[in-house]
Amino acid sequence: MNAWFVSHQVLVQSTLISLLLALSIQVPLRAGVFSFAGIGSYAIGAYAAAIVTIRLQVAPVFAIGAGVVIAAVAGYLLALLVARLSGLYLGMATIAFALFLGVVAVNGGELTGGATGLYGAISTLTTGHVVAITVVVVLLLVVNERGAFGRRIDAVREDPQLAVSLGVDVGRVRRRVFVVSGALGACAGGMNSLLRTTVSPETIGFQLVVTALTMIIVGGALSWAGAAIGAVIFTWLPSVLQVVGDWQPVVYGVLVALAAIYMPTGLLGVAQSAWRRARRRPLPADDRERPDGDDPERALAALQEVRP
Amino acid sequence: MTTAPARTAVLTTSDVAVHFGGIKAVDGVDLGIAPGEILGILGPNGSGKSTLLAAVTRLVPLTRGRLSLDGTDYTGSPAYRLARRGIARTFQTVRLLPDLTVLENVQLGADLHLPRASRLRELLRRGAVPEVAEAVERTGIGDALDRRPGELSYGTARRVEIARALAAGPRVLLLDEPTAGMNQPERREVAGLLRRLRDEGLAQLLVEHDVQMMVDTCDRLLAMNQGVRIAEGAPTDVVEDAGVQSAYLGRPSGPQQGGFAPVEPQQSHLAATREREAGRAADR
Repeated sequence: MNAWFVSHQVLVQSTLISLLLALSIQVPLRAGVFSFAGIGSYAIGAYAAAIVTIRLQVAPVFAIGAGVVIAAVAGYLLALLVARLSGLYLGMATIAFALFLGVVAVNGGELTGGATGLYGAISTLTTGHVVAITVVVVLLLVVNERGAFGRRIDAVREDPQLAVSLGVDVGRVRRRVFVVSGALGACAGGMNSLLRTTVSPETIGFQLVVTALTMIIVGGALSWAGAAIGAVIFTWLPSVLQVVGDWQPVVYGVLVALAAIYMPTGLLGVAQSAWRRARRRPLPADDRERPDGDDPERALAALQEVRP
Repeated sequence: MTTAPARTAVLTTSDVAVHFGGIKAVDGVDLGIAPGEILGILGPNGSGKSTLLAAVTRLVPLTRGRLSLDGTDYTGSPAYRLARRGIARTFQTVRLLPDLTVLENVQLGADLHLPRASRLRELLRRGAVPEVAEAVERTGIGDALDRRPGELSYGTARRVEIARALAAGPRVLLLDEPTAGMNQPERREVAGLLRRLRDEGLAQLLVEHDVQMMVDTCDRLLAMNQGVRIAEGAPTDVVEDAGVQSAYLGRPSGPQQGGFAPVEPQQSHLAATREREAGRAADR
């Protein structure tokens, strides 16, 4: 196990960083916000962590934290800017945000190291830290996906007008989603810079949009678990696909197209509906037609009270 | 004839207008609903009933007019605040979240009152707040709690919508065609529920096409056509009103705006209603 871990350490790191990056797209999607701002935030986090570490030699938590704070603030401002956009237009605007940051990185002079990027961002960040951060992030997202939190986000995605009439401040949920997405993306970017000790414009390019979207489409967009499935598959697939050599991108493309066509809810969605079918109790024959198929006693028994 | 006692209205609109470009969907409507009163809004398709409901719930911007709740103006208040202030509504079409169970859909209504700490506790212990249990019991959807909306009959889905609105514990309930697509026994059941809620003091605004049900259920009726009020008062008076007859039933009475073909079933419906009302008056 230990030997396996040592030889696969880089892949484990990549998986977790990819997971956080994918989550920075999945969190907005879950709330019905088609935003790639997480990719731009990854760039912010990657450069901020490298710059802070090289120039100030502070602990990794501050280097990554700096990027997270900057990206969260940028996310909030971006949310205000694109408040009226949705769907494809929002997607385009936020991709432009990511590409814009790429241009800034190339032309940032000494601060960003221009086209060659920055080297020597050496820190004490370990795989253990990355695992711990990822676990905490996932736990927080699990809480947000369940119970009242999750239901209200579902309502914002499925039917914003209904959500409003149920007392949900949809605008605020959307702004929050941008902030969370910014923080997640920056966290992923910062950890990647410090683990690789380097960052360059190529590592924050359009490729990231493709990677993150691929993971979510194949894994499933409606839960963190979908992003996790996607992150594992697409981080480990290249080592499996080495046999096909140059045909790798073709195999990728076919996989994604098949997933998009035949599994619109991703692998996670397929697994969930199978699970639901397996445990559903059979319908009583006349239940669908009986208008008063009610039994208050049973209804009350089914509802354990949790007093506010 | 009975008229509504002069109680203080909990919800009032004054001169409310909603124009979409040149189309005056609602053009200057005044209304007031008192606690323990059902106000029915009657009118042909496109007369502005649903737009009026959307205006009252702040889902469309007002062109002019004021809205107030408990005497406090809320014309500029964002829509999401109204639920917390006690206004709940249902929509003309079934709008349940397809991936949630019936129970979860009803819980959505009560969630806004749930403090953060209880939301966390709900994660640890499966269960629901008492308001949810009560709403489920009153609407009789106890057997469907673990189903998804796609598996429900239309009538049951509509009752889940009413349960969701009730779970918010409203003081004003706005119902946009709550019994559309239901069969007669289901309609009677819903009408009975609305009357019980009224007797407990809930103020209700009911939009329906079933004239008979409106006359049986509502305390007052307000008839609309082309965005304006054409009659208001005791249900039987409004239904008998010549202007309402011509607008709603397409019965020509003078050179008024036509365009509505006579609707035979509804006319006979109306006749039956009239007979029933006459019988009722005789009983008194």
